[in-house]
Amino acid sequence: MIEVRGLTKRYGDVLAVDDLSFDVEPGKVTGFLGPNGAGKSTTMRMMLGLDRPTSGRALVNGRPFATFAEPLPEVGALLDPGSVHPGRTGRNHLHVAARTNGIPERRVEEVIEQVGLGGAARRRIKGYSLGMLQRLGIAAALLADPRVLLFDEPINGLDLDGVRWIRELLRQLADEGRTVLVSSHLMSEMQQTADRLVVIGRGRLISDATTEDILGGLGHRQVRVRSSQPGLLFSQLQEHGLTVQSVDAHELQVEDSTAEEVGNLAHALRIPLHHLSDVEQSLEQAFIELTSNSVEYHGRRAETVQARTEVAP
Amino acid sequence: MTAQSTDPAMHVTDDVSTGRLFERTCAAEWTRLWTVKATWWFLAAAAVTMVGLGAVAGFDAAGDPVPSQGDTAWVAANFTAMPAQFALLALVLTAVTSDYATGGIVPALQWTPRRAVLFLARTIVAAGAATSLGALLALASALAAFAAARPVLSLPLDKGLEVLATVAFVFAAGTVLAVGLGFLLRNTAGALVAGFLLILVLPLLLPQFGYEWMSALAELLPGSCALFLLNGEPDSQGMTDASSVITMLVWPAALSCSAGSG
Repeated sequence: MIEVRGLTKRYGDVLAVDDLSFDVEPGKVTGFLGPNGAGKSTTMRMMLGLDRPTSGRALVNGRPFATFAEPLPEVGALLDPGSVHPGRTGRNHLHVAARTNGIPERRVEEVIEQVGLGGAARRRIKGYSLGMLQRLGIAAALLADPRVLLFDEPINGLDLDGVRWIRELLRQLADEGRTVLVSSHLMSEMQQTADRLVVIGRGRLISDATTEDILGGLGHRQVRVRSSQPGLLFSQLQEHGLTVQSVDAHELQVEDSTAEEVGNLAHALRIPLHHLSDVEQSLEQAFIELTSNSVEYHGRRAETVQARTEVAP
Repeated sequence: MTAQSTDPAMHVTDDVSTGRLFERTCAAEWTRLWTVKATWWFLAAAAVTMVGLGAVAGFDAAGDPVPSQGDTAWVAANFTAMPAQFALLALVLTAVTSDYATGGIVPALQWTPRRAVLFLARTIVAAGAATSLGALLALASALAAFAAARPVLSLPLDKGLEVLATVAFVFAAGTVLAVGLGFLLRNTAGALVAGFLLILVLPLLLPQFGYEWMSALAELLPGSCALFLLNGEPDSQGMTDASSVITMLVWPAALSCSAGSG
């Protein structure tokens, strides 16, 4: 269990984390989402005692992390996979971790096999790919079989097989009753994996709810429909009080309706349909809507760049 | 998870005693120190310098047409300690600063959140290992000189204990000073430059200006005190064994306090 209460971190004039409060419960995968600069990594660093909060507190299993003499059986964490000595072998990196907390040496071999680094454990870390560094970091986090696990962007650099592996691992860890907090920018992954989502923006809490609630709470049910008579269908749907947009010459998008409702209407009007489906809500869309006012760093949109290029002499 | 995974609800973390924690942290620091190549390279450099120069000094003494009376092979240990200490200082310094350069301090603090325990263990293991090995190399240097010069140089035991104790003290004070610089500056290049200035450059440079106060200042530097203890230089009335020992203890203590409060 992780409890965050009134957590605030200020760097000079910059308020990185602003009065953040939420719980991360055991038995669930909790996704930690937010745009770049939202304060996710700073929050995780404060949970792990690496940064001192300006005010508020973060408790792990009821205690501040820094008070644990040997924290690995309680908390395993992967923050920055590149934060390791490149001249040490992967196996020796884990041996150092094991010795700090009195973990048996055989456990090192177990986690090496578990994360699939058996063939690379003897090599120096400077030869590792980003995916291998992620696996090494995950191995260190799992070393003492902890009750609480924190992963900061664990999917970065993993190949498809690695992504599937970590998806299953997160699920398994949560099903075993552990507290799992995962930050990620990959919305599709979070949609598949997370039971609960904590969304922050500009250091403030935007949403703390189940993934289902966040997706359902959008209130934007949409239907896509294709017909050989799009003009007639468009006008009839509008007459029935529905908001309709043309997607292309034959396809319409109907807001706040269902495929069932649109299909029944078309059938009654004897308008032939070639395609009819509910638009599946994505976490990506939900995330964009939730954080639209909280994005710290905006990039220029591609079409804007294109337009400016065209008018350039 | 693996078959060895246990029910997390069964986990109970009983805090271990500080002594046990310190013991485990020292064991981890020992592994951390000896699992990077840099440690072995710096140790090899110190070994080549001390044993090699010791043998050269021995051959020199053996080839002297007018052999000096009463010289012992232990002199080689005293003279070779001064240049060799830089390799040992670099060894402990990189053991401290590499964690800041690579970001390895992040997992280190995740595994040992009690900073005082981590930093004390790191200091003791790095400085202790460098000092012990330096003293052994001083013995090897004297033996190399003795073997090369035989029978010109003697190897009296009482003198040997005195020399080895002095060399060990100089190495211990110097390596703890280097650890303090490493923790304070958190930067390998900066700490190395600072170490060279305090131990080699400024003690030699300051007296050259001819001002009395600059010479007095030079005598307060750890390099001057190390040279005085090892070789009796400079032949100054202002320096004694006691003052040199105290000065060499104050420097690392002051740097460690500064780093600890930083």
